[in-house]
Amino acid sequence: MTPIKQLIRVIFMEKKDIFYAVLFGFIAGIASVGLFAASGYLISKAALETPLYALIVVTSTVKLLGFIKAGTKYGERLVSHRATFTILSNLRVQFFEKLEPLVPQIFRKYRSGDLLGRVVGDVESLQNFFLRVFYPPIVLLLVFVSTIFFTSFYSFSVAMILLVGYLITTFVIPFLFSLKQMKIKQQVRANRGDLSTEVTDYMYGYKELKLFQQAETKKQDLLQKSNVYISAQNKENMNKVFNQSVTSFVTFVTSWVVLAVGAYLVAGDQLDGLFLAMLVMISLTVFEPIAPMGVFPIYYQESQSAVTRLNEVVEDTAIETDSGKAQIEQTNTPTIVFDQVSFNYFADWRKTLSDISLTIESGTKTAIVGASGSGKSTLLQLLIKLQFAQDGKITWNNQDYEEIAAEDIWQQARVVLQENHFFYGTIKDNLLIANTEATEEELNTALHHVLLSHFSLSDAVAERGQNLSGGEKQRLAIARAMLKKGNLWVLDEPTSSLDAKTELIIMKQIEQLAADDTLLLVSHRINGLEKMDQIIVMEYGEIIELGSYDALMKQQGYLYKMKQLEQSLLI
Amino acid sequence: MQRIKHSLRAHKTSLILLLLLTLLLGGAIIVQAYTITLIVNDIFLEGASFSSVIEWLALLLVALTVRSISDYYSKKIGVKIASAVKEETRKELLEQYKHQISVSEKQGVVGEKVSMLLDGVDEMDSFYSQFIPQVMQSAFVPLLTLIIIFTQHVNSGIILMVTAPFIPIFMIVIGIKTQKKSEEKLEQMAAFSGTFLDTLKGLVTLKIFNQTDRKKDELEKSSLGFRDATMEILKIAFTQSFMLEVVSMLSIGLIALEIAFQLVLYDGISFFTAFFVLILVPEFFTALRELGTTFHNGRSSMGATEKVFESFEESVSPVEWGEVELTASDETPTLELANVSFQYEGSDFALKNINIYAAPHEKIAIVGPSGAGKSTLLHLLSGMITAEQGDILINNHSLYAYTENNWLQQISYISQEPYIFSGTFAENIAIGSNQEIDMVEIKLAAQKAGISELIESLPDKYQTYIGEGARGLSSGEKQRVAIARAFIKKPNIVLLDEPTRGLDLQTEKVLQQSTSELQQFGTILTIAHRLHTIKDADKIVFLQDGQIAGIGSHQELIHTLPAYREMVTIQQGGIDNDSN
Repeated sequence: MTPIKQLIRVIFMEKKDIFYAVLFGFIAGIASVGLFAASGYLISKAALETPLYALIVVTSTVKLLGFIKAGTKYGERLVSHRATFTILSNLRVQFFEKLEPLVPQIFRKYRSGDLLGRVVGDVESLQNFFLRVFYPPIVLLLVFVSTIFFTSFYSFSVAMILLVGYLITTFVIPFLFSLKQMKIKQQVRANRGDLSTEVTDYMYGYKELKLFQQAETKKQDLLQKSNVYISAQNKENMNKVFNQSVTSFVTFVTSWVVLAVGAYLVAGDQLDGLFLAMLVMISLTVFEPIAPMGVFPIYYQESQSAVTRLNEVVEDTAIETDSGKAQIEQTNTPTIVFDQVSFNYFADWRKTLSDISLTIESGTKTAIVGASGSGKSTLLQLLIKLQFAQDGKITWNNQDYEEIAAEDIWQQARVVLQENHFFYGTIKDNLLIANTEATEEELNTALHHVLLSHFSLSDAVAERGQNLSGGEKQRLAIARAMLKKGNLWVLDEPTSSLDAKTELIIMKQIEQLAADDTLLLVSHRINGLEKMDQIIVMEYGEIIELGSYDALMKQQGYLYKMKQLEQSLLI
Repeated sequence: MQRIKHSLRAHKTSLILLLLLTLLLGGAIIVQAYTITLIVNDIFLEGASFSSVIEWLALLLVALTVRSISDYYSKKIGVKIASAVKEETRKELLEQYKHQISVSEKQGVVGEKVSMLLDGVDEMDSFYSQFIPQVMQSAFVPLLTLIIIFTQHVNSGIILMVTAPFIPIFMIVIGIKTQKKSEEKLEQMAAFSGTFLDTLKGLVTLKIFNQTDRKKDELEKSSLGFRDATMEILKIAFTQSFMLEVVSMLSIGLIALEIAFQLVLYDGISFFTAFFVLILVPEFFTALRELGTTFHNGRSSMGATEKVFESFEESVSPVEWGEVELTASDETPTLELANVSFQYEGSDFALKNINIYAAPHEKIAIVGPSGAGKSTLLHLLSGMITAEQGDILINNHSLYAYTENNWLQQISYISQEPYIFSGTFAENIAIGSNQEIDMVEIKLAAQKAGISELIESLPDKYQTYIGEGARGLSSGEKQRVAIARAFIKKPNIVLLDEPTRGLDLQTEKVLQQSTSELQQFGTILTIAHRLHTIKDADKIVFLQDGQIAGIGSHQELIHTLPAYREMVTIQQGGIDNDSN
């Protein structure tokens, strides 16, 4: 199924609104044509000194048509916009459903910020599809067919002229225009991409550029790219303007031909002169709704590329989805084993994790340390099946990760990631995510455990938790992990934004709660890891040291040196 | 508003041309109506032959062509003005930001400016390319048609004069009644519109808590809420155009009726006048209606334009440089801060009375708690910001007497998070110099910075693409690239912000080695976080709350400065371990 067809299927979920939008649109269009036809007829009739009652009938018709037009136009707008936003809502839900199984494996290929922003932008842009691409041509077609049918009773030639004018303005011109527009649009997009890179580099790297005396050169480059972009936009705009002008010129010429042919026919007594003014008025009015058709190809193309881009993402076969179906057989505290596991991101020029082998015994506490970019967080993501190993094997109590459904692992795991998301709502909403059955008392206890007793459950949380400090977010994330059930703790630098004292108290709480559970902790520092059963030291995606704290210290290797370094840090 | 006017003033000739084209357009509309009427009149009432109206048909065709062409050219002028304004604005914005970015520290601020440069400027387009020509047309065409109608038939003109004002009156009445409501709704809409992105961003969190289904329902609910809020606002707009439509319909109907009666009962006017007026009246209302929608649409593009122009209001005084060339620029100069004070605008924090002297090739460590003003000090030295009081002396002359290039040539600044540009490793290292650099030199610099091993291990080696779009380097690697840049530049003064977190041991080793190597080039000022760096320094400057609390060697400060001693001991758990 082509992307556009899929889109149309979503649109058809709102059959009733579509029907009314088309119906009202049609009535409004016909009423408008009728109105002008009637007034043309009225004047001609009046010129021939007809009885007054006939005039009054026609005049009333004119008035009535006027009100009908205004009323149905209002109705059409209301219904079509409501349909548009309902469709948008359906689209959002649909793409949420489609994207859901791909996250976060999709971030192996796309950067999260870029991707999500783009998906949202593309989905929102699809709202134009119904409003500007899908139903207006239907309305237009109906109005034209009826008008041409009506005119053919008076003059077949005039009807044919209107038909030709309609075909040219709705099919020929938009088609030719969209061919050119497509090429220009590509150019515009490419130029924008270039400029965007240039601007980002210039602004974020400004200090460096300045210090290396390259700011001026870079600025000239940027301005030059900007001018190339602007001239492409200029071309795009001019193409639009040209299209609009050509369309309106063709409608003028059509009316002109109607007049000329009408005049010829009247002069030759082949047409009653009474209808000449009416036919001219019809030809002037019927093309009024053509104007929006000028933008039809633009919106059509935008919708098409948006929906194609979206499909490329959600139907990217390179992105694996979870194929595991099985439940975890042994739900006791897990032993997890990595056997020669490798992983890398798509755009990366080196392996993020290579040849990782390790055993995490049931109920033990393991710490992972290493420099930024050494692969610690990726290791954790594999452990909770947020990413899949490309080589090697991971097992949970001897059961292969490939078989186990990821949901089942999440059911068992209490996770604090480096970036934890908080939703628009209240503290309570955000805590309940961890355990929908938790009582207020339990929630308050959890807040108390993470030293956030001063928070009330009804306190508001802004989008992405923007009103919370880094430390508060970390503590709320820990509270969520505490509220959740499960016997595997997975914590990625959970306390990096906390001061030493708070960190100590909270880690103590976790220690108590997790006493019998398996625990993995990525730590930003070595201080405080003395009690861990096992320490893994990573560098460039490899495990370079593994053992107990004391053993590694005695060995005076990497961990020892890191500890020395940490000791020498003042601030 | 002032700025918008100003931006238009620069295109005076274009605007005059636009006005002339609009008048031409109006003229063509009138000729069009006139000839149509004439032809229908001659053929229908006078029973004229077809050949007698051929001239008029030709004139009509000319009028139609003129109408299309003048419309095309007036839109073209709009597009042209838009392009010129965008070009100019981007240039001015860059000039403006130049002084702002060097001062601002926050990444968010830079992000805002990036989007202003890209999207902000783009959104200005429709204001100039569509709004301006449309306003002209919508203002002059009704005026012109009204005048013509008056000359033809005064009664119709009066009906128009009486009914047309109802349009703005209705608009205002409805507007006032609903404004408050729509403001409320707008807020609500803003809250809804972010939900989709918010939900997608939280997908990972939702998944690990098995909450995706619940959130999906919420997403649907909020999307429908968004729909209902939007519809409330749209209803107002639709009601307005409904009223407009009704008023114009009534008016047209009234005129048609009045004309018809005049025709039948009193023979007051000719068919010609009646039909002419009847064709012109809709043109009048169409243009008026367009003015309404234009203002409606124009408001958003005008808002965007004003937002861009607002950023010109924030003023920052740029560093003013002199003309003097630093003589013997190969030699490391002496460096002195004499009573230097500085304060960020709108911030309580200030650097006060800073006095530091650095002899050539000295190694100076700047130490102090976070927020003490260490980075501000380096920014002052780099010439990014100007001292408000006091002076920075280079070879006993004010820094600001030298040329900017001359000074920048002297220094290297290695920050905690150096920026990596889109490009290859080689390009990113070569940026250290503003001259052509050959690969031999690049390789040597990379080697000294301890990054050559990593680069050589990659399939594309020095041509490996890094920066935006490629999954980047770790912070330690970025820092080593920055050090390589410094080796290319061979500066006389090195400003270094020692990294604090997430460092690998190799970068640590390289940092220690290379700083001593960079010292051969010249003076080094380091914001120091490591005890060995501090102990290694010739001089330690201890900053506290923007002031120098003490200058001296490690041992001196330990004994004389309690705050310094406290800082070292708390972190170390006793100085005895480290002071030997």
